[in-house]
Amino acid sequence: MSRKFTLLFLSLVLTLPLFAGCQKEAEVIKIGLEGPMTGDYAYEGQGFEKAVRLLVDQTNAAGGLLGRQIELVIEDDAGDPAQAALVAQRLVDAEVVAVIGAYNSTATEPASEIYNDAGLFHITPSSTATGLTQKGFQRFFRVCFLDDRQGLFAAKFIDGVLNAKNIGILHDNSTYAQGLADHTKRYAEELGLNVVFYDAINPDDQDFSPILTNIGAAELDAIYFTGYHAQGGLLLKQSGELGLDLTWVMGNASNNPEMVQIAGLANAAGTYITTEPLPKDVDYPEAKKFVADFEAEYAMSPDSVWWMMAAEAFNVIRYAIEQTESTDSQVLAEFLHNEAKNLNGITGPILGWDEKGDRLGTIHVAYIINESGEFIMNPQQP
Amino acid sequence: MENLLTRLRQVNPLRWQLGLIALAVLLPLPLGNYYRSVLWRTGLYIMLGLSLNIIVGYAGLFQLGHAAFYALGAYTAALLNLYLDVPLLLTLPASIIVAALFGYLITRPILHLQGDYLCIVTIAFGEVVRLVLVNNLFGITGGANGLSGIDRPALFGLDWRQPIYHYYLMLIFLVITIFIVQRLEHSRLGRAWMYVREDEVAAEAMGVDTTRVKLLAFVLGSGWAGLVGALYAGKITVISPDMSKFMESVIMFCIVVLGGTGSIPGIFVGTLGMITLPELFRPLKAWRDAWLGFAMVTMMILRPEGLWPSRRVRLEMRGAKEVSLPTPAMDD
Amino acid sequence: MQFIQQLINGLTIGAFYSLVALGYTMVYGVLKLINFSHGDLFMWGAYLGLTGLNVLLALLPQAGAWAILPVVIIVMTTVALVGVLVERVAYRPLRTAGRLAPVISALGVAFILESLARNIYGASWKTYPTGITPTGRIALGGDARVSVMQIVVLAISFLIMGALYLFVQRTRTGTAMRAVSLDHDISRLMGIDVDRIIAIVFVIGPGLGGVAGMIVALYYGSFDFTLGWTFGLKAFIAAIMGGIGNIPGAMLGGMILGIIETLGAGYISPQWKDVIAYVILIIILIFRPTGLLGERMAEKL
Repeated sequence: MSRKFTLLFLSLVLTLPLFAGCQKEAEVIKIGLEGPMTGDYAYEGQGFEKAVRLLVDQTNAAGGLLGRQIELVIEDDAGDPAQAALVAQRLVDAEVVAVIGAYNSTATEPASEIYNDAGLFHITPSSTATGLTQKGFQRFFRVCFLDDRQGLFAAKFIDGVLNAKNIGILHDNSTYAQGLADHTKRYAEELGLNVVFYDAINPDDQDFSPILTNIGAAELDAIYFTGYHAQGGLLLKQSGELGLDLTWVMGNASNNPEMVQIAGLANAAGTYITTEPLPKDVDYPEAKKFVADFEAEYAMSPDSVWWMMAAEAFNVIRYAIEQTESTDSQVLAEFLHNEAKNLNGITGPILGWDEKGDRLGTIHVAYIINESGEFIMNPQQP
Repeated sequence: MENLLTRLRQVNPLRWQLGLIALAVLLPLPLGNYYRSVLWRTGLYIMLGLSLNIIVGYAGLFQLGHAAFYALGAYTAALLNLYLDVPLLLTLPASIIVAALFGYLITRPILHLQGDYLCIVTIAFGEVVRLVLVNNLFGITGGANGLSGIDRPALFGLDWRQPIYHYYLMLIFLVITIFIVQRLEHSRLGRAWMYVREDEVAAEAMGVDTTRVKLLAFVLGSGWAGLVGALYAGKITVISPDMSKFMESVIMFCIVVLGGTGSIPGIFVGTLGMITLPELFRPLKAWRDAWLGFAMVTMMILRPEGLWPSRRVRLEMRGAKEVSLPTPAMDD
Repeated sequence: MQFIQQLINGLTIGAFYSLVALGYTMVYGVLKLINFSHGDLFMWGAYLGLTGLNVLLALLPQAGAWAILPVVIIVMTTVALVGVLVERVAYRPLRTAGRLAPVISALGVAFILESLARNIYGASWKTYPTGITPTGRIALGGDARVSVMQIVVLAISFLIMGALYLFVQRTRTGTAMRAVSLDHDISRLMGIDVDRIIAIVFVIGPGLGGVAGMIVALYYGSFDFTLGWTFGLKAFIAAIMGGIGNIPGAMLGGMILGIIETLGAGYISPQWKDVIAYVILIIILIFRPTGLLGERMAEKL
């Protein structure tokens, strides 16, 4: 009996591959989305899905692209490079014309090779590791900015606008936050600031009171936190509860209204944020419309800056397909390299892409959280 | 069905073993790259399961930090490859040695701990390895993003970006692993392991050097996991500290126990259950974990000895019930 | 004065670890099982508390801080019920199946509970309603301050732990519990209903875990679905450090772990604090193989 069961189990396993993957669709444009729908980064991956899904549905409702409907193929890599390699292959097998993803650089790296080998057009919304665009992949692009430009902006802001002398920099050991922290430190020191405190928190933690106690004792003029909004909010809340009087500046990963909720209004007010312009401050109607539609659809705002970037990536793909009237990866890639200039992005102007696939320009601005918890553009900019 | 199996048993083992190998060689040929990668991944975890089986299955030691050694092997291979330009296949011995060495160093002082206390130390060690890699010790481990740009194996001028070559490379090592593990199981050392697992005090009384025997289990198992780590690095070309996370160790542990502790075919079944099936059930999306958990609970209730246990373990558990002895404990 | 401030911080974290560690240790005591699903039961306490508070505050906006009391009771009951259910379905059939099978079953339950939370509540950070917890700080001399919330948390934790200790030491059921943790068969011969005692343990352990989840979420104000694994693992370590199966040990282990962590974070670096905690755990176990207060287990002869 038990043997029978085992054999049945085995034969089921062996025949499964034969049933899977044999559907055939005609006349739709398939676009792939790879991201961490489960695992530790699920929050970002699920946001990718929400943002892109919204735009796909809108496009389809408006008659589709080139008269064809778009089919969104979503694959979950859980942020793990090995799974990323597998799902990249699945997307290739699904015959998508372009891919948005992955979230973290570690997952994007192996996937980008597979997309490149398959000749696919690939945009990452959020992977900032410099090495990704150094491999000469002609069809790989980023819509996010590299960390060093924001680092320069933050250093100038802290120096020029806040007139701080002794500053602290805090990151969360993620590659993104650490990169931004390192660049900021370098530029700040070039500008003659004293970086008297430089350390990292562990993002798995809930309690940051030990390090905040140290920060409070260090007598800083300003402290720059480069990590994510959840920890940013907890830092603000706990520093308020410890009664510390600190000038907090946050990086763009904390550009998220939820940070105010986590921190509590009183603790969040007066915090500065260096980030890409918020949709409400971008002059293009597309940006405001996206946020309004997102809020109407999901009853929440597009919280994370990376969700916006994922939506941006889809818009870029849609724009390229519309303009070239082609779904050929090579054509789309060449269009982005050569012709796509000065687009109205929902994350600010898109000047274009360099030959490696990095987004051009610097668009960072400084925000301040006001007494009612709104993000308003700081009157003084560096 | 039972008839068929009895008849199969009478067939010369060499013959059906060769048959299985032939099947494994032919299996990926009609499949696409995705399924070939899935097969590769299955092979990878079978090897990890077999290496952990030496520790958990044979010697009966609670090891919930096995992924640390897998990560150590991968990082050794990657560092040698990236900084010293050693070709990947030549880094394999170093990966084995480094992982085995750490296996020795970490377990030497804690071998006297009993079951669950040993378990927590191995968990702690796995977390320490992960955190040290994240914190970028000596500035060479690349922090949270890990290391990327690792060379693939270069052999016979093949295009090693194709998953199928990695599958065959894996298969070669898998066959070697199974051969070694089988020999070990029936060796003097293998019997000593099982003696320790069944009754440590009695084993010691019979003149088995239990410390040495347990240490050997850890060293061999860890070293072999290091080899698998290097093979992983050679295909994926990116490694990160997440390789050593607790979840990864948990999955390896489940592979060993779900399939049937101490049994080689059990590892195959366990890997199918923990790795291959969840991969093929991707359409379940976010509910995959829940189903996996449900399957784990159900399987354990229906077959606590594992899906394909070694004959010894099954007799112990099922046989014990028939003569209604008090609670049989496996690793006391 | 910084030292005293760090000590207060450490005690608060330690109190949380202790509360969760109690659940691990009690279950281990009677079943010799590492209940890997306990961390997720604790996390469910936080989620259920969130739903409860939101519903109650929507119905009775003027309830304010008083809303916490009924919600705590509901959360405790619900999580305890889930705990008993888990024991009945996933652990009881495996009581005679050696030690590995129940561990896998426990891990399976953990997968189910976490997946359910992620799918029902989503992966984003959840924030508790604000303005219902006490605010304010009390200066302790020098720069050290203790917040009212910290005092409340510590008081509640010590109260719960003290009550539990007395319950286990002084009542009939508590005595039966200690007997069961020594030997199931002999306890049965002594007329103890072992199944009932185990069920009671699965009421108390997860019930406390659920309350702890809600207190943690109230204290920090926000959490996400990874709370179960991270806190669960730490609390488990605390339980082992103190000597698993031993109730005062869990309390001591939690406090020590909390203090080691904060001092490590404050005086060395937050990124190394966990490494420091794990290394100290390993050192403790090398010298005291059964934890700080664990009794030396008799070798089988």
